Amino acid sequence: MSATHTEPGGSLPTGVDPVLEVDDVKVHFGGVKAVDGISMKLMPGMIHGIIGPNGSGKSTLIGAMTRLTRLTSGRLLFDGEEYQNASAAVVARKRVARTFQTVRLLPDLTVLENIQLGADARADDKSGNVLTRLLGKQISPAVRDAVSRTNLEGFEDFYPSELSYGTQRRVEIARAIATGPRLLLLDEPTAGMNQKERAEISALLQSLRTDGLCQLLVEHDVQMMIDTCDHVYAMNFGRLIAEGTPTDVVRSPQVQEAYLGRKWRDHA
Amino acid sequence: MMQFYFSNIVLIQATMTGLLLALSIQVPIRMGVFSFAGAGAYGIGCYAGAIFVLDHQLGAIPTIVITCLMTGVIVLALGVLIQKLTGLYLAMATVAFCLIISVIAINGGTTTGGSTGRYGVISDFTMGGMFAITAVALVLVALSERGRLGRRVDAVREDPELAASMGVNVRRYRLVAFAVSGVLGGLAGSMNILVRSAVSPLDIGFHLIVLALTMIIVGGSLSWKGAVLGALIFTWLPDLLKVVGQWQELIYGVIVALAAVLLPRGLYGIYVDTKRSVQRRRREAAGPPAGGSDDETHAERLEPEMEGQR
Repeated sequence: MSATHTEPGGSLPTGVDPVLEVDDVKVHFGGVKAVDGISMKLMPGMIHGIIGPNGSGKSTLIGAMTRLTRLTSGRLLFDGEEYQNASAAVVARKRVARTFQTVRLLPDLTVLENIQLGADARADDKSGNVLTRLLGKQISPAVRDAVSRTNLEGFEDFYPSELSYGTQRRVEIARAIATGPRLLLLDEPTAGMNQKERAEISALLQSLRTDGLCQLLVEHDVQMMIDTCDHVYAMNFGRLIAEGTPTDVVRSPQVQEAYLGRKWRDHA
Repeated sequence: MMQFYFSNIVLIQATMTGLLLALSIQVPIRMGVFSFAGAGAYGIGCYAGAIFVLDHQLGAIPTIVITCLMTGVIVLALGVLIQKLTGLYLAMATVAFCLIISVIAINGGTTTGGSTGRYGVISDFTMGGMFAITAVALVLVALSERGRLGRRVDAVREDPELAASMGVNVRRYRLVAFAVSGVLGGLAGSMNILVRSAVSPLDIGFHLIVLALTMIIVGGSLSWKGAVLGALIFTWLPDLLKVVGQWQELIYGVIVALAAVLLPRGLYGIYVDTKRSVQRRRREAAGPPAGGSDDETHAERLEPEMEGQR
């Protein structure tokens, strides 16, 4: 099954170097081909999306990009430099940040401390003096900025167990933003959020795009993908079945067959 | 005050060595490494201290420094060997390490003194030095629980994948946990021999693991404050329980069992939970946060979406 390019070259700009390039990446678990020969380019200042049914390999692909999941074969390039043999920590230090499919916050740290964990990953974070850093009292400007962007003011001293699922999600996103990422990978960031919060997250991602940040968004909310993304990939059984502008991808017969159903056929 | 100090000087010394022994197990556990190698390092520290003072006429401070470096390197090497193991398998491997140290002590000939051990270790070590070294070790461990390092240690323990995705070299942190465990265990062992002047294989057996684990389970496993509480309780409790005579062991056992069942986060956990509860009540009294109300449940938040799908 080959990918359907709804437009030649999709909706990606030409003449611009990609932030991250995935080249024929395969992740096989024994006989299960979770990711089977995926190639894609993530361009600066764009929001890319991946849609597909459960088990199509979306999260595994993000795991492979961040080197938390071992590749069977293929190449990964960040700024043109291969890194498929680097560790996850090295990838993070290249300022590749991610959120996870399930919320993963540290239960004994407050919201502010959880977000500061993201800022701790920044080599350029020199906020506070030696004493405040030793005693853990310093709060980085990146953390304040992330709290403000994710509308978490007032929740700083809460512990994760005291927050609703949607707010925990926002803390995860804030932590990823606090790393000062060049590439942000978001695995179902709005799961568990209501429509208003989803709209807020969509607006947040679009404001980050304005700042030039490259983003990859995995979501099941197709309307949000259409409203938010510049370029969408559709996956099924570990392979790309379509790519292009969001509206073209949701109109693709293969995508409707595999994932969306008839409801999106006449989507404008 | 001075009378209390001099009449209990042995218990005060045992509290400090017990505290360092407990920390040698607690530090790796805080990093998610279920290792008891610190107890083995304690055994090496006792014997190495005796050998350095008796056979090489070293002073107290050089003895402690060399012993700590040696035990740090030995336990780090052990960590490299068994770094692929986790959980119970890792714990069993480190228990085996401790038992091997005991076997070497018994069969070490004149170097270890065989089943008699080594005795007559008289050095220039003072109580002031013991207090100072313990305090420095405690401050360093306490600092490792705060700030950037503390957050990263928490991440390595709670979620190694998350830690790696935050730029933390998890493998390196775990190996450092082994090395620190070795240094703390060696420090406790070497200070013990310098104040007690004798060591035999019976002093470095499996019971050390049980004692250290009891201290940190009852005191609290995730903070140095828990180790301090545990060391105080389980050094002084047997002495206090002497009044009940033959029931001493039974009461000791009941206290440990009750603490394990009723205090899953240890005594220090009670303080932490109470503090959080008070903070939560204060926040509730102050009203909802500026970032919006957070009182909707997950199901309530999903309701509009479910409605749309219906």
